[in-house]
Amino acid sequence: MSDTMVKTKRTKKQQAGPYGKLGHTINELDDRLGIAKAGRTFFDKVFPDHWSFMLGEIALYSFIVLLATGVFLSLYYVPSSTLVTYHGTYLPLLGRKFSEAYESSVNLSFGVRGGLLMRQMHHWACDIFVGSIVIHMARVFFTGAFRKPRELNWTIGLTLLILAIINGFLGYSLPDDLVSGTGIRIAYSIILSIPLVGSYVASWLFGGNFPGHIILERFYILHMFVVPLIILGLVGAHMFLLVRQKHTQFPGPGRTENNVVGAPMFPIFMAKTTGYLFVITGVTALLGAFAQINPIWQFGPYDNTSVISYAVQPDWYMGFLDGALRIWPSWSFHSFGYTLPLEVFIPSVILPGIIFNICFAWPALERKFTKDNEMHNLLDRPRDRPVRTAVGSAMLSFVFMLFIASSTDVLAKYFSISLNTVLLFMRYAVPLSPVVGYVVAYYICKELQGVEHAGKRKVPNVVTRSATGEYIATPAPRRVDDVHHELAPLQVPTYVSSEEPPPSTSGVRQVDR
Amino acid sequence: MQPLLLKPRYALSVLALMLTSTFTFFIGSAHAVNTTQTPYQTDRKDAGTSNSSSVTIGANGQVVTYGNGAITYTAPDGTKFKMTQTQFVELGNSLFQQECASCHGVTANGVPQNKTPGNFPNLRHEAAAAVDFWIESGRMPAANPRDVQAQRRPPKLSHKEALAIAAWIATLSKTTAWPLIPSTHLKGGSLADGSALFALNCAACHTITGDGDALAFDTYAPSLRNVPVVQITEAIRTGPGNMPRFAGNLSDAQVRDIVKYVSLYIQHPRNPGGLGLGGLGPVAEGFIGLALGVGLLALAGFWVGERQ
Repeated sequence: MSDTMVKTKRTKKQQAGPYGKLGHTINELDDRLGIAKAGRTFFDKVFPDHWSFMLGEIALYSFIVLLATGVFLSLYYVPSSTLVTYHGTYLPLLGRKFSEAYESSVNLSFGVRGGLLMRQMHHWACDIFVGSIVIHMARVFFTGAFRKPRELNWTIGLTLLILAIINGFLGYSLPDDLVSGTGIRIAYSIILSIPLVGSYVASWLFGGNFPGHIILERFYILHMFVVPLIILGLVGAHMFLLVRQKHTQFPGPGRTENNVVGAPMFPIFMAKTTGYLFVITGVTALLGAFAQINPIWQFGPYDNTSVISYAVQPDWYMGFLDGALRIWPSWSFHSFGYTLPLEVFIPSVILPGIIFNICFAWPALERKFTKDNEMHNLLDRPRDRPVRTAVGSAMLSFVFMLFIASSTDVLAKYFSISLNTVLLFMRYAVPLSPVVGYVVAYYICKELQGVEHAGKRKVPNVVTRSATGEYIATPAPRRVDDVHHELAPLQVPTYVSSEEPPPSTSGVRQVDR
Repeated sequence: MQPLLLKPRYALSVLALMLTSTFTFFIGSAHAVNTTQTPYQTDRKDAGTSNSSSVTIGANGQVVTYGNGAITYTAPDGTKFKMTQTQFVELGNSLFQQECASCHGVTANGVPQNKTPGNFPNLRHEAAAAVDFWIESGRMPAANPRDVQAQRRPPKLSHKEALAIAAWIATLSKTTAWPLIPSTHLKGGSLADGSALFALNCAACHTITGDGDALAFDTYAPSLRNVPVVQITEAIRTGPGNMPRFAGNLSDAQVRDIVKYVSLYIQHPRNPGGLGLGGLGPVAEGFIGLALGVGLLALAGFWVGERQ
């Protein structure tokens, strides 16, 4: 061992010490920061093997796509209502005067390399983000994962959904095109419709009358700084509680209320989730590249309050509000020199308030009605809790029908029905939909409960005919792939020894809570 | 004594009453609009003169052409089809009796023979451009005369036959009904003005992407995707069906700009972002985002998550 030593792989390895170069660095870090314990907790976090547990990750990773593409967009977008003359490449806008916000949005689409791709990825990722939050929430609800001790995480998740919707709306408003201008106008009217405080709040938010000059700046700060920061913080809290309280799991062999059975974070789940990150980024990029979303150059600028396009819908996650506004009868209350615009206030303020408050209150309501105050770490199959499943189905049916009601004109056009007929239908169908959703789900649950082995993998029957003409059905022998091998749980080391760490083992692990 | 409203039976009935009254409101407001109005515009007496810079008067003193650099309006002329004008008008007359008279009446006054005057428009003062538009867009002869709104179809009559009928109808009126058959000179038009004017005048019904949409009571604003230049001009200037007639508020140059924008961009949208998704906006986008985006990703999640 001298200076003249030949550098081979082996000598390098020897020089690096017993833990290798990386291990050495981590050791040094551990000496100073004590990261080994947290790292061990992190690496040994056990993820139950069920596909539906991946739905939340769609939200997480599409949020990452949103952050990345959003940073790119913020480099080129100018949140200003100052009028400028367009000198870009899109001919129908050439020489027209409109806000700098719209001009910069069109320019970043056509003038910046990759700008349009980034803008479309951002928008698609947003649609996917909110959508995945909803289906993740549905999974949590129908399996009862929100029960004690996880009520707080349910609340955080719901808050995240609301913030995602709000931020989606803010982002939709920023390009200052015809459609987003209409959206801001509707939002202004909704705020105005709130009794007593409405006009003050609207004036405070817009800095005066609609549209004012500073609303885009304010929306910009909210959209790219305030709300994402809150979302980021809440996502952190969501994940922290997830690690702290550990995952729920479906009942199965070896699974109890007091353990978690599944794959460890490292290396199995790490590989899965990283792969999934790439899939999500890839799908978003494909959509961004090949499916056009929000062609603002076609819509033109929102430069005049008299310019309006028919058939303007909000993005899908605001659709239920739009639908409620469309089908609500034109009630308003005029008295004592005041007007109470109930046709706006009820569908766009009261209704979403009721919907979200029911969602917030549900864990407490269920505790109250079932008188069940126990800790629950094992999940329910939806059919085993028919009332909860039926309530969830009723809520989803209601919101879905409101969502459908936001496309009354599209329905009327494509099915050649009178718009008035569609409207009248929706006025009955929307209030009836939760009833139908409840009853159908309840009886499906009851029927499923009555069927033995429903939902289990089917075993084919082999029918043989005997010499006497008798038919005998016997279950086919199971194929090798069909047999589910339960792996013996491996004990997770409870301390980190100073000796050589045991080789990382893959497979199912069991940790005590 | 317990207040009545606190007893479950009474509380329930009050709730039921409230719900019922809610539905009554639903019914009431849906029928509150007058349904008897006819979608046809029969009165075209207010047709103005054009903003034309030059007018050509024919041998009989009738207007033959007028117009400017933007649009030239020409009277239906049989000589272009190698016929004398008399033969041309006679052809129009016979075609009208054959195809149109069963509703519009043999004298084109909107009264079918042996029938009381109905909802059929009087065509005696109808402009050549209007006649040409209705026939060449295939709306006339109507598939079902009782339809609230005639649909665009492959035209039953040819260009020549449509013009012949227009020429015959022109002979029924002593004055020249405005406008004549337009030919729009797109070359000098401004796309920027066209898109701005389109947003201001047309998008409110036809939507900003020109895809058209449903209006109240079975009427609809048709799609502009496959409308020829001549018919766009004719429609703007004559206001067929429910559409307002844009006469005084748009100059020929402005109409030309709109037609240029519609024919070059609305009908051939540049979709630099990929598939246009039918110009449907957030409805289609939401469907793709949820079904394709979230759906695909959930499937991928199934694939990843169930892997042992």
